Amino acid sequence: MRRVLFVLIAAVLALVGCSSSGSPKPKGSALIVAPQVGKYAGAGLVPAQPRPSFTLSDTAGKSFAFGTVTAKHPTFLYFGYTHCPDVCPATMADIRLALSKVPASIVSRTYVVFVSTDVKRDTGAVIKQWLGNFSVSSKATWVGLRGTKAQIDAAQAAAHIPLATDDGETHSAQTLLYGPDDYARVTFLTSDNEDQAMAHDLPIVAGGNG
Amino acid sequence: MRLAWLPVTAGAIVAAVGAAGLIRGAMAQAPAAASSTSAAGPIAVTNPYVWAPVPPSRTAAAYFTVYNTTGRDDRLLDVQTGAGTSAVLHLTQSNGSMVPIPNGVVVHARSRLVLSVGKGHVMIEGVIGTLKPGQTVDLELDFQNAGPINVVAPVLPVGTTPGSR
Repeated sequence: MRRVLFVLIAAVLALVGCSSSGSPKPKGSALIVAPQVGKYAGAGLVPAQPRPSFTLSDTAGKSFAFGTVTAKHPTFLYFGYTHCPDVCPATMADIRLALSKVPASIVSRTYVVFVSTDVKRDTGAVIKQWLGNFSVSSKATWVGLRGTKAQIDAAQAAAHIPLATDDGETHSAQTLLYGPDDYARVTFLTSDNEDQAMAHDLPIVAGGNG
Repeated sequence: MRLAWLPVTAGAIVAAVGAAGLIRGAMAQAPAAASSTSAAGPIAVTNPYVWAPVPPSRTAAAYFTVYNTTGRDDRLLDVQTGAGTSAVLHLTQSNGSMVPIPNGVVVHARSRLVLSVGKGHVMIEGVIGTLKPGQTVDLELDFQNAGPINVVAPVLPVGTTPGSR
């Protein structure tokens, strides 16, 4: 039986594979990140980056103009994909945990925007269910967005992060945080228990003193 | 004809057993693998854990640390588990992209390999049945010199590590 199982596993391995290799060739200009700048627990952005404008589809298929809908609101912006086993769900979990530590008056004004880089597999229904694991009973406004590869590329370029490659599986792990003045002065890098930093920085950013 | 059906039958057994939640590593495992850590022998595997998939995703990530206490290099060839249809080692390259490592990875003499968020993981795809915090996953790490080493990894909520939160 053991041999049979090995054969089976080997066959599946050969067929399924995982993310393909290949070096990313970002076309967008990368953000200049200066870790631990000033009052932030996250990584400081110098210079501050303006809130980008791009229009994608939400999980219901409706048009969502990021720049105008989220304007003046504290906003987390993240690009990833739902089949991602680690950094994408970890980041959403960190944001959820961070929001639980911040006053409700701030949370209720806050947007959490997840943009899928997997334009093939992440349908609106998939993103909605996946994001629902984190947004459930949250007072923040959680938004899942999708679009064509050209649209997603344009959105990433507008946010000045490297463009995702390998069908969206190789992607930036940054979480940008924009404030009411529509600038991001802080970003959170590869999310590895970033919740405390996010909880620390969100009130500063939301207070307009970012 | 009989041979052709064997993999299908085996798959059905794996699926049935996995779905029943009876065995989370339908590969042959040491029956008395009560400890989650294999610290005996020249290769020590510590701190194993698996992040539960987030529905509808059926992809999970497994992490662990490997210590090579010997004086010669060894190679982690493969990681196997019955928890999903495939398990593939991914490591982050110097250019920042995380890619499959089909030929395994060298664990140098008296050195360690740490799989953690951003550095690498074992990507378990096609998770069978439900995989929730509180459960465990059996992992078999196959080394070129040390042979197979079995560990039992607890399933944790995404974003957490053993002992955190």
